[in-house]
This record gives sequence, C-alpha cells and structure tokens, in this order.
Amino acid sequence: MITCSRCGKENQDLYKFCLGCGAKLQTAPAPGAAPAPKPAALAEMLPPTPPPEFGSPSISVAKTAVPPDPASFSAMGPTITATSGAAFGALPGQPQAMGPTPPPAAASPAFAPPAAAVPESGPRPLAAGGPASGPSVQIGLGSVPMQVPVRQSPLPASPAAASPFGAPSMSTSVPATAIPAMQAAHVSPFSPPPVETVACPNCGKQVASAFAFCGGCGHRMKGAPGAVAEAAVARADAVAPVPVRIAPQGHLTLIRPDGTEGGVCPLQEGVNLIGRGQGALFDADPYLSPRHAEFVLSEGGLEVRDLRSLNGVFVRITEEEPLESGDSFRIGQELLRFDAINPPTPLEDDTEIIGTPNPGYWGRLSVVVGRDLDGPAFPLFDETANIGRERGNILFPEDGYVSGGHCQLSVREGRVFLKDLGSSNGTFLRVRENRSLPSGSLMLMGQQLFRIAYK
Amino acid sequence: MSTRTCPSCGNTVPEIDRFCGQCGTRMDGAAPPPAGGGAGKTMFFSGVQLSGVAKLVLVKADTGDGLAYQLSGTEHVVGRTEGAILFPDDPLLSPRHANFMYRDGRLCVLDEGSTNGVFIRIHSPARLESGAAFLIGEQLLQVEALAPDFGPQPDAEGTYYYASPKRASKMRLIQRLRGGDIGLIVRARGDSITLGREGNDVNFPDDPFISGRHAEVAIGLDGAFTITDQGSKNGTFVRIAGETPLVHGDYVFVGQQLLRVEIT
Repeated sequence: MITCSRCGKENQDLYKFCLGCGAKLQTAPAPGAAPAPKPAALAEMLPPTPPPEFGSPSISVAKTAVPPDPASFSAMGPTITATSGAAFGALPGQPQAMGPTPPPAAASPAFAPPAAAVPESGPRPLAAGGPASGPSVQIGLGSVPMQVPVRQSPLPASPAAASPFGAPSMSTSVPATAIPAMQAAHVSPFSPPPVETVACPNCGKQVASAFAFCGGCGHRMKGAPGAVAEAAVARADAVAPVPVRIAPQGHLTLIRPDGTEGGVCPLQEGVNLIGRGQGALFDADPYLSPRHAEFVLSEGGLEVRDLRSLNGVFVRITEEEPLESGDSFRIGQELLRFDAINPPTPLEDDTEIIGTPNPGYWGRLSVVVGRDLDGPAFPLFDETANIGRERGNILFPEDGYVSGGHCQLSVREGRVFLKDLGSSNGTFLRVRENRSLPSGSLMLMGQQLFRIAYK
Repeated sequence: MSTRTCPSCGNTVPEIDRFCGQCGTRMDGAAPPPAGGGAGKTMFFSGVQLSGVAKLVLVKADTGDGLAYQLSGTEHVVGRTEGAILFPDDPLLSPRHANFMYRDGRLCVLDEGSTNGVFIRIHSPARLESGAAFLIGEQLLQVEALAPDFGPQPDAEGTYYYASPKRASKMRLIQRLRGGDIGLIVRARGDSITLGREGNDVNFPDDPFISGRHAEVAIGLDGAFTITDQGSKNGTFVRIAGETPLVHGDYVFVGQQLLRVEIT
C-alpha cells in the first residue's frame, strides 16, 4: 500500500498516481519490474482485439475509463497531463490490436525529424506521446483513425509506448477496474511532465508543439510557441461539460479521372458558393460558370442549388428516379435529355399538325451535342428502354465510359423513371433547381467529379 | 331569277346572294363567269369529262379510286370548312387549305397558307431547301444542313458548354410526329441518307407504305438537298413552296387526302 501524501488515500503498490486525488505517488516500483507479470494477465482480461470505436464521443470514453473520483476525473480533463495518456497508453495487449509495433528507429521515417526535435523523446518515451492523446480524447476526435497516430508515434520500443495515441478510442472496452493495474504496468522513473500540444489547424489533431509538421495530415505547423498555449486553451474551452451544438461541417472532394482524390473544398455551415473563380479546385474548369451552384449546409443536411449555371449540376443516382420532360442526365461522356411525347392537340382552328402517326412513342431521348443542338434522338416506345455501350435499345458503342448495359428508362402508369443498371461510372441526373444530398453523394459539376461528405 | 356562276366551285348562285351557297366564296366581287362554266355541277355527277378540263380523283388506299372532282371553274379551293372541295372530317386540313386554279391555261396548285402544307409526288430528283419536309409512306421527314463545327465556343461569361462528343456531320434527318413532336433524329455520316423499309441508312420496318428502298436525300455544296425516289411503290412527296404547275398523273396530298390529277 502506498498512502498518498496529499490526500491520505491508500493506493496499491503498483499505482503510480493516487486514485483519490491524482497526485503522483512517492514510492514506485522500478521501471521494468512492474510490467513483468501483469501484461500477460491483463492481456487475458482484456478482449484480444478491442474493437475501435471510431467517432464515439470521447468525453464518455474518459468517463468510462477513469475511476469516478472527482479529483481523478479532473486530472483527466482538459488539463493536459501525462497521467491520462500514460494510463491509456499502458493498455497491454494493445500492440497486438494495433498491429506491428514499429521498431524504434523505424518509427515512421517521415516523422523522424520532428521526433528528433523533441529533446525528451529518448529518455521519456511516454512523455512525448502520452499527453498528446489526452486532449484528443477530450475534444471528440475519436473519429481520427487510430492507425494514423500509431504510425506517427515518435516513441521508441516499449509496447505501451507504441500505442498511446490509439489507446483512448479503444478504452471503452476496458473495464474501469482494470485501469489501476494498467497504470502500474508502466510506471516510469521519470515524472511525465505535460507536453504542450497544439491542435493542427487542418485536421484538428493534437500535435506536440515542437513538431514542425502535423503527424495526422502532414500540415506544416507554423504556430509560434506562444500560440501553442492559446490553442491548447482554446481546445480546452471547446470542451464544455454540457453538450454543445456542433456546427455542421462538410467538404467537397475532387475525384480525379484515375479515381484518386485531387483536393478538398471545405463546406461551412450556411451558403457555400461554388464556381470558376471560387477556389483552386474550380478555377481550371472552363465548364463551370463563375456562379455555378450553392451548397447550403445546415443541421438539416445539405442542399445544392443550381444557380442557372450553363452546364448544371448532376448527381449520381442511387435508386430509381422519376423523370420529367426536359430532364437531362449524363452517362459516360454523353449528355442526354429526355422529352415526353404527348398526344397531339388540335390548333385553334381545329387543325391537327400533320406527321407520322405515333406508333406508340411515349418519349424521346436526345443526345445533346451543343447548346440548343440535338444530335441523334431516339424514340422511346416499349415499357422499358435500355441504354448501354453493347446491350440495349439505345447504344453508344464508341463511348468507353458507358457500361455494356448502363441504365434504363421505363414508363409506368404514365410516369417515367430512370435507373442505373449497375454501371461502372454511374448515371448522373441533372438537378432541376435544388436537391438534398446525402453525405457520400457523387456529383458532376463542369467536367469534374466530386464527392460530398458532411456531418 | 338571274343567276351567276361561282368562280370557285362552279355552283349556280342567285344574283341576290352575296356568297356562294356551296363553297362560301364571296360573290359580290362580280367576277366574270369562267369560260365553259355553268355546267360544272352537272358534269361532275354525270361523270362525263369535258375536254381540256382537269379533274381530281380521290385515291383511297383500300378501295382504289373514289370520287372525282371536275375542275371546271377558275379556282377550286380545298378545305375543311371552306371551298368547293370539302373534307369536313379531315383534321389535318386547314379550314381553307389549297387552291387548284388555272393560270394561263395551266392547272396549278397553291398553298392557301395552310398549317400542314401541300405535298406533291416527285417524278425526278427534286431540290429541297434545308428544313423542308417530305413524305414517304406514313413518315413525315425533314432534312437540315448542319453548320460546320468550329469547336466549342465560350459564352459571354467565358464558360464552355458541356456536350456529348460528336462526329462531324453535314446533315440530319428529323422525323415529325403527328402533333409536331420530333420522333427521331439521325445524323448522316456521309453526304446522303438512304431511306426505306430495310437495308438503308434509316429504316422504317413497321411502315407498310414504304418500299424496301424508297428514297435518298443528298446534300449539295450549297447546303440544299436533292431528293430522289428509288422507284418506290407509293412515291416520295415534297412540300410545295409556291404556286406549282401540275401535269397529268400528278399526285397531291392535302391533309389526309391523296388526289390524282387527270387532265385530258
């Protein structure tokens, strides 16, 4: 038993910090001694591979994992301490769950310079990484994939040290009773002082202030040392004890023709104007109007409004969509327009306009080849008309971006529908005036493909 | 009671009437009675032909020749509600549609500003202006010359129009449905389009009035077209633009009515 010199509470020998007040306990086992029997035992206690809980509110993580002692909890709070990180980082069994532990020297080569810039990184393995995970637990960044922090960990050797970043998001599966033992497993002879971190302005990840680059996204951390504390405070302030309203955020990601991502345009709450001249993603596309579309992001979701752009906004359809006469859609490189064909109506003098007797055409699909200029146009007559490169009633054999059987037009009870037939590149329907977009939607604007994400 | 003869239909009209009771033609213009007039009505029913006077024979697809109309006046208006030759049940006829008239002793046909026009069967390759309509079988078609493609041009804001890729084409064929809608559009790959029921550039396999090889439309250097009938059974009809002389054996479509011209 170790009696806390500050609050008098008795703690087990293996405890490093007082359960009652969080103060550092005086007598600690020698480093290396504690881990000997415990990890194996704990590894049995713990699920072999605790499922990571991405996106789960991190505040609750802390509440779950930390003994419900007010003093102790405060130590886990916004104040950055080594305790929380060390404790979480001490989870045995984590190295297995997290994948291979990088050897000290090999720990993320790209990250070597920043690691070298931390003077304490050598002798104080826990200090460099442990605290950094503390704030990230508190501010709800649990959605950051934990592999990323692990890979960038500048910490050497120790299994515990390899996983401090990832630990918080996994700790919900750890019984609270396991915490003390885990803490004990990694008692260090060095007192782990708080390491100042700063939130990456790009991805929000907590980055040690000495680092020149963010480990999460590679963003260059330009913040002067003075800004670090402010940032930390700001982060701390952002953590309110009561749930706060989180403004919706989103982004448009450019998808290059080869499928890779080509850049991101953030979407803020409110109205976001997209057009040629509104950002690097858009400026090079001469098929975008200067004021092309607005994306209105609110708690209710995202709505896109076509600002009467020349070329419109097209959304990839995921289910059967009703079509109206005049609707356009794109498959492959083709811009197609559907027009209904209605029964002839007599003129004012009761004359009907002459023409081929309608053999049952209910619509027409036109290939748009220019402004106000239709190329080929195909009458639609059966209940369904299949469109593709090789199979169907209407074929585009020369367009390699059209699938063999691409999409289908059909008519039921006087209504016309469009659906994709599992094409590789999708069927994109032009937004009439505005349309709600679920997160994950794909859309064509100008000649570029974008993916929408927001929450 | 003194009478006079209607210049449009040859009807005998009482002097006091201001309009012809049969065709509605205004009579107080005091037009001189046509030569040989006055007997038209009677001769029409008698079926006896007058020498030098044309007649129109109504051709029915199922029953062969139908009624014959003697063109014994100077003007003979065809219409749905107005004129000497009336087809009140034909919705494709304008109230006053066409006029068969004699000009310097020759029979001519004139479109009276009808909605749907007057079509005449061609005997030999005929010229078509861009946008002009023609009939084969039940198909009403148009050909248009396409302007040379100078590539995409930006609009006033500097934005280019996104469109489907296209191959260069000089002409396109448009099918016009009853009511005015477009049915199909075909762009030519070369300088001409052949038309028929099968084995052509454009085929209408379900049209029983079209021959296997029916007609060909070719574009000329000036952007106008030449249309040639390929020996079809039912012929190729082009819409007339102005006053057009007729000869014996001509076929004329007005509305749904096919008329054969007989001049003896």
